[in-house]
Amino acid sequence: MSTVLEQIEQQIAKLSSKAVKKNTGNIRTIADGVAKIDGLSDVMYNEMVQFPGGAIGIALNLEETEVGCVILGDISKLKEGDEVTTTGKLLSVPVGKALLGRTVDALGNPVDGKGPIDSKEAYPVERIAPGIIVRKSVSQPLFTGIMAIDSMIPIGRGQRELIIGDRGTGKTTITIDTIINQAKINKVGLASGDKAFRPVYSIYVAIGQKNSNIVRTIAALEAAGALEFTVIVSAPAADNPANQYLAPYSGAAIGEWFMENGMDALIVYDDLSKHAVAYRQISLILKRPSGREAYPGDVFYLHSRLLERAARLEGKGSLTALPIIETLAGDVSAYIPTNVISITDGQIFLETDLFNQGIRPAVSVGLSVSRVGSAAQIKATKQVGGKLKGELAQFRELAAFAQFGSDLDAKTKAQLERGGRIVELFKQPAFAPLPIELQVSVLFAMQKGFFDPIELKKVVEAASSLKAFFTTRKDALLAEIRTKAALDKDLEAKLQAACEEWKSSFAA
Amino acid sequence: MASSAKVAQQFARQLVTLSLVDGSVSAERVGGVLAYLEKHAPANAIAVLKAYHRLIATEVAKGEAVVEHAGPVSEAELASIAAALSKHYRRTVTATARERPELIAGLRVHVGDDIYESSVAAQLAALEASV
Ligand SMILES: Nc1ncnc2c1ncn2[C@@H]1O[C@H](COP(=O)(O)OP(=O)(O)OP(=O)(O)O)[C@@H](O)[C@H]1O
Ligand SMILES: [Mg+2]
Repeated sequence: MSTVLEQIEQQIAKLSSKAVKKNTGNIRTIADGVAKIDGLSDVMYNEMVQFPGGAIGIALNLEETEVGCVILGDISKLKEGDEVTTTGKLLSVPVGKALLGRTVDALGNPVDGKGPIDSKEAYPVERIAPGIIVRKSVSQPLFTGIMAIDSMIPIGRGQRELIIGDRGTGKTTITIDTIINQAKINKVGLASGDKAFRPVYSIYVAIGQKNSNIVRTIAALEAAGALEFTVIVSAPAADNPANQYLAPYSGAAIGEWFMENGMDALIVYDDLSKHAVAYRQISLILKRPSGREAYPGDVFYLHSRLLERAARLEGKGSLTALPIIETLAGDVSAYIPTNVISITDGQIFLETDLFNQGIRPAVSVGLSVSRVGSAAQIKATKQVGGKLKGELAQFRELAAFAQFGSDLDAKTKAQLERGGRIVELFKQPAFAPLPIELQVSVLFAMQKGFFDPIELKKVVEAASSLKAFFTTRKDALLAEIRTKAALDKDLEAKLQAACEEWKSSFAA
Repeated sequence: MASSAKVAQQFARQLVTLSLVDGSVSAERVGGVLAYLEKHAPANAIAVLKAYHRLIATEVAKGEAVVEHAGPVSEAELASIAAALSKHYRRTVTATARERPELIAGLRVHVGDDIYESSVAAQLAALEASV
């Protein structure tokens, strides 16, 4: 009851308050979603300004005689001479759990036709990233469900791991797999009734993509039952550059709400190359001086201030970021890739060659790193996968060497056989993330030589048979691996026995 | 292209500085500036004059408050508004009244690009936007 009265009192206070001061200006020119405005002498940088007909602008260029604003929303009815007023507010978007399962635009308006979003709070789109003191180091795992990543390039909550690769190398698929995996873990964890369980909510920000691609992504999430834990922020290619420029910051604000309220969230920026292009477009229209590759000088700050907002906070939650960058012909030394590589805590590099050879996900193990994630890896994975990276690197070297001569000694041959099998085991279809306990089981079987007698071409088949066997018949064992998160003598014996059992059933 | 526009703008800005006395536009000084320009026309005279015109208009607007009102406004009230604004902006601001029945009741004061709104119409609009 009292809240109702408070609301009315606030309304009265608003109405009876003295004169409201506003600062105004007039549109001098308007083109390409950018308006140059006379007046607005009191406007602040990044302040929201109001155009007639409900369109909103953001003041980005404050010059002596004019103000440059990007316009969000319908600009078709705006014309020269229209009056513009300041609002005294910075742009903010609705946040909260009400957004889960929804698709919104860069301003947080629903675009999925599922009706209005009942959110009680709003967060500013631009926010200063948390400082050093409140940050905690990364120590809790975030499982992607992709074996090659979880075992060799592990990611922790609060980390920023870049996904980088050429067109069509499976970048988006890796992030969608990760989101699907969070949903699966959430369902198991929430059903277990474990009080200490921390679900991970996901935010997928689509920047400058074709609408058809975004629809496909949403459909994949829905089919996997992951949509209910996911917020989608959509600024498709057809949207004006201002919306594409803003969308990642809006997504970050939505993610920050989870982090600030003691929850864990994951945010995917797909992709920041297109984001940089949208920003370049705006900057060129605003006639800002441009530098390398025609990007404006502050393009580094564009992405650093975004990615710095991902963190793990003392006494609160975390926000993990998976930014995506598209390269041209594998060139990571271009301007935007080098910038983003330098801001993130590691990168997962996808290679066209591997992809075309059918090695999918096409993760290049040699070029991929995770600088903080190993602190977050569970012990069981370290036990069965600790040496994998080295083994694979050695395999690559030997394989290149083996092309020149046929007479190899037995040890080298064995290493080659083993390496080839690891590569096969890491193959994984799209949208089929693997629970960590199954990953441990498969890697255990590999380390114990269960795949060695199997023909190389049959390894994928054998691995899926092993996975099916464990999921249908060894539920209790999997649950034990999951909860213990480390292999003791007893568990190892059980795993060994289960693998033997599978071996006889597979051979039969 | 862009740079010559900038030069004109800068020149016009200097001319505006010459046209002010105690922060307000002086008709006498403006006359002097115009006479000078007529004799020593710069290369881009039209651009300079246009920029000068716009800047002077902005300066003039800063010193002239337009008080829109619905309902009566006395001379004393106008004078007190002018005095308050002069104090606030630290320059002489004169006030002229303009009748605007569509405000329903209350005032709206324009000074330069600032607007002070205390009309019933604006409050109704704010209320409408908030529900
Ligand atoms: N692990 C996988 N197994 C089989 N097919 C895959 C796998 N990963 C991706 N693909 C397929 O490869 C294609 C490209 O994948 P995806 O869209 O994820 O790549 P991308 O790098 O995001 O592409 P773009 O540069 O167009 O954004 C898709 O058709 C996808 O289904
Ligand atoms: Mg993609």
